[in-house]
Amino acid sequence: MSNFLTVKGVTAGYGDGPAILDDAHMTVQKGKVHCIIGPNGAGKSTLMKAIAGMLPLRKGEIEFKGENIAGQRPDQMLRRGIAFVPQERALFPKMTVRENLKMGGYILNNDKALTSRIDEIFDRFPILKERADQHAGTMSGGQQQTLAMARTLILRPEVVMFDEPSLGLAPKIVREMFGIVRMIADTGVTVLLVEQNAVMGLKNADWGVVLDLGRTLFEGPSAEVLADPRIQELYLGGRRAA
Amino acid sequence: MDQIIQVAVLGIGLGGVFALMGSGLSLVFGVMRIVNLAHPSLIIGGAYIAYWGFKLYGIDPLIMLPVCAVILAVTGILFYKVFFERDAKSATYSEMTVLLTFAIAMIVEGALGAAFSNTQRVTSPVYATDAFFIGDVFIPKGQLYAGIVSIVIIGLLAAFLKYSRLGYAIRATTQNREAAALLGVNVNMVGLMSFAIGIGLAGAAGALTSFVFSFFPAKHWEWVAVLMSLVVMGGMGSILGTVIAAFSLSIVAAFVGTWIGSTWSTMTFFLALFLVLLFRPQGLFGEKPELV
Repeated sequence: MSNFLTVKGVTAGYGDGPAILDDAHMTVQKGKVHCIIGPNGAGKSTLMKAIAGMLPLRKGEIEFKGENIAGQRPDQMLRRGIAFVPQERALFPKMTVRENLKMGGYILNNDKALTSRIDEIFDRFPILKERADQHAGTMSGGQQQTLAMARTLILRPEVVMFDEPSLGLAPKIVREMFGIVRMIADTGVTVLLVEQNAVMGLKNADWGVVLDLGRTLFEGPSAEVLADPRIQELYLGGRRAA
Repeated sequence: MDQIIQVAVLGIGLGGVFALMGSGLSLVFGVMRIVNLAHPSLIIGGAYIAYWGFKLYGIDPLIMLPVCAVILAVTGILFYKVFFERDAKSATYSEMTVLLTFAIAMIVEGALGAAFSNTQRVTSPVYATDAFFIGDVFIPKGQLYAGIVSIVIIGLLAAFLKYSRLGYAIRATTQNREAAALLGVNVNMVGLMSFAIGIGLAGAAGALTSFVFSFFPAKHWEWVAVLMSLVVMGGMGSILGTVIAAFSLSIVAAFVGTWIGSTWSTMTFFLALFLVLLFRPQGLFGEKPELV
């Protein structure tokens, strides 16, 4: 198995509250698209936040390139090459598209390098170049999501995590978002997604991870996960109320 | 016609000083969610520093201005460390800061009163009582200088927020604290710096105030409501909104004071506040409140 990024027995929760993640596992392979699925409250977003360093782990390890990185701050994760786009409102609505991209490279602290990297982003995402001087908050949902995803690329990360990039978007725009995800993965960047719509998420991913009640039920190549009868059971009932 | 120009000129002069007073308050609210009722009392503190600098050493208040700003900024950092930092994670932080800063305002007032008595003071450099005449329009030099210096400082603040790295971080933190932290901004440090800058601006405003208004320790009560109405009108946390509100209301207040009577001029601010809350509760440049 790969030793790129591995989540091992992670238990975590918010403040003194109950554990949202309870013994979660996940294997991440370099350059692939991974989709985390599971019913509401399964801990999908929490798993991403745990990897991003946004909440402390009560138990478990996060191993990245052979090193346990659990317990580091978000900015330290960012410096290691792990970027995270939280669900909705990841942008600075009253800053322009260009300023948002500059914030994406805040830790670079190098204006010259930043300018050339922003130009690279503009070449890859012409719509952002067109809107460069527009306030982010005035763009459409799809454009905002595009900006949020593109902004992570400024730091040339190794792993990007998107929490429900399809949220609140029309089906046609959702297809565009998955197109961008694939385009990012094609450049060798590893992608982790959370997706509410399991079928759509898995169809656009290489690897599927199924969470339920904070625990990893199983993971595997997405086609296999999609065909697994346990998925039917999980989504179409039969489970006791938790 | 001359009278209209005359009143407008006086209104603009005062508007600049109010804009400077309000912008520090707005910055602190925008980044830190601190409703700083102690802001005007700290302005008075700045005014005393300028006053004694002039009285004892003959230093012009405009030269004392950076000194006042630095002393107040350092005071701000101390206050933040002692009073605010502990509770910054509390869910009711903004509400708590109202009580906390109210107490600080009274302590500052009491300390200033104990030290300097409640006598009315005014710094009196030569220009404070001098004026230019353009035709029949009379422009008091003190207000003119204070207005110009205020506008320059606000311009510098705007440029700093727009172009500097810390300015980017401050704006980002104001707009989306979580996202800023995720991008590697040390939001606690940004908060502390904004607080220092905001209180430093109170110090600068104090130096100007010292020769534009006569002041005494309890004078800040007159300003707290005026400044709060400017900040609310501008849209909580929007410095541009605060500045626009300060200029427009000061000019209107000057006309009200001349034509209706000076006791009514402060009313202008509250009437405007009332109308804004009624018809545009998010303020001129504020975000619509979200329905949760």
